[in-house]
Amino acid sequence: MTTQRAEAAPGPAIDIRFGQVGLIQVLIWTTDPGAILDELTGRVATAPKFFQRTAVSLDLGPLGREPSVQEMQGVLDAVRRAGMCPVGLASGAAVAQGLSEPLDLPLLPPFREFHPPAEAGARARRETPRPQPQPEDGTLAQLHPHPVRSGQRVYARGRDLVVTAMVGAGAELIADGCVHVYGALRGRAVAGARGETGARVFCQDFHAELVSIAGVFRVFETLPPELAGKPVQAWLDGDALRFERLGA
Amino acid sequence: MTEIIVVTSGKGGVGKTTTSASMACGLARRGKRVAVIDFDIGLRNLDLIMGCERRVVYDFVNVINGDCTLKQALIKDKRLETLHVLAASQTRDKDALTEDGVRRVLDELIADAFDYIICDSPAGIEKGAHLAMYFADRAVVVVNPEISSVRDSDRILGLLASKTHRSANGNGGVKEHLLLTRYNPRRVANGEMLSVEDVKEILGLDVIGVVPESPDVLAASNAGVPVILSDTSDAAAAYQDAVARLLGEELPLRFLDEPKRGFFARMFGG
Repeated sequence: MTTQRAEAAPGPAIDIRFGQVGLIQVLIWTTDPGAILDELTGRVATAPKFFQRTAVSLDLGPLGREPSVQEMQGVLDAVRRAGMCPVGLASGAAVAQGLSEPLDLPLLPPFREFHPPAEAGARARRETPRPQPQPEDGTLAQLHPHPVRSGQRVYARGRDLVVTAMVGAGAELIADGCVHVYGALRGRAVAGARGETGARVFCQDFHAELVSIAGVFRVFETLPPELAGKPVQAWLDGDALRFERLGA
Repeated sequence: MTEIIVVTSGKGGVGKTTTSASMACGLARRGKRVAVIDFDIGLRNLDLIMGCERRVVYDFVNVINGDCTLKQALIKDKRLETLHVLAASQTRDKDALTEDGVRRVLDELIADAFDYIICDSPAGIEKGAHLAMYFADRAVVVVNPEISSVRDSDRILGLLASKTHRSANGNGGVKEHLLLTRYNPRRVANGEMLSVEDVKEILGLDVIGVVPESPDVLAASNAGVPVILSDTSDAAAAYQDAVARLLGEELPLRFLDEPKRGFFARMFGG
């Protein structure tokens, strides 16, 4: 292939582009590999397809100390055995600085730093409220008037996403704000992708595979009959995702 | 004005080659000049269905590599004089196709004033399938009435909307049509198969034809006669209707008994 291309046109060998990808953060509270593996396998089992071979970054902030390289190798091994692929360390945690090189994992720029809970000992699942994501070009929502097909992904950065056509199974809608679908939603909807807990998901014909708001998600292996095919909204109530039929 | 039509599906074994052969014959029978190209490099099948496998001397890859002229590689159909077949190479792999090479062959066919170029896509979403759809003006997406085929077609429709010459250049995109094959109204009525309405609803597109499941299709393939030419068959009539609709005629769908309740309604009690 490469030789053919070189013959056809002497173009660049590579292109470098800036792109944003969603990345799951694993907050490390302990370096005990057994405990990590137990908890991860339990969570992965609830949504095996979502987590298998998923790239994750490790946030060592909750540890509050810099673990040894050996400890970290145990942690990495446990995370890998659970089926995830650690690709970096969240550099928001100062404790990760010295580990990047010996572990051969890059430091990733922080986009959701961990803040220790106010009450000692309490495991806060939610971070401190972030400022509202600001629309970047003055519009309040990103409009997508075409069907979103299986395998396609639409991301509305820093605002709402409005889809006025169907969303196929295996398609992904991601918005930093709310997700609105004026058609059938058969794929995944991820609202509040950067942690906005007030984000909601609205759709006219609910058949979603997965709904996530600010990182709290629910997988629909079977659709509840009271929601299937109905206009539905989803929102975050504390730690729980709530679903309600619209206009009922 | 030449129109390039890709016959594609994502999933294998749903009837792409059967459909390519029958659509090409149907258009040629109406006096159109048609070239049908097999993009499934390494798994040459179209020539078998067209009944010209023993006349393949040069193939698509030979033309791209400049081993022969396009005229030498185009096989004239013995039944329809305006129909030409460009076979795939059986000995090469899919990397033998290049965007530039495919473009040159298509340009030469356009310069030769063909009315239609039918691109028979391989299964999958890899290079062969990508190049088969890349230059298309229209797409016939072949679907079987079952969920995995429908899912793969949805994926292909997504690629048609984003990874084609027309989508990249803002020429209004590729015009998409659905063609259901292996449709069995009895099994639809029993809830074992999706109905036309279910497939239309899931994919959000209209259908250009519904070809009933029929033993004539396999018999025709084995005989090397595209099924559209076997005049007594329901499948042939369905393909003729589909060709007519492709040319803009409005015909009601045949060979489907409307089921009383849809698949989803039965599944979820809605």
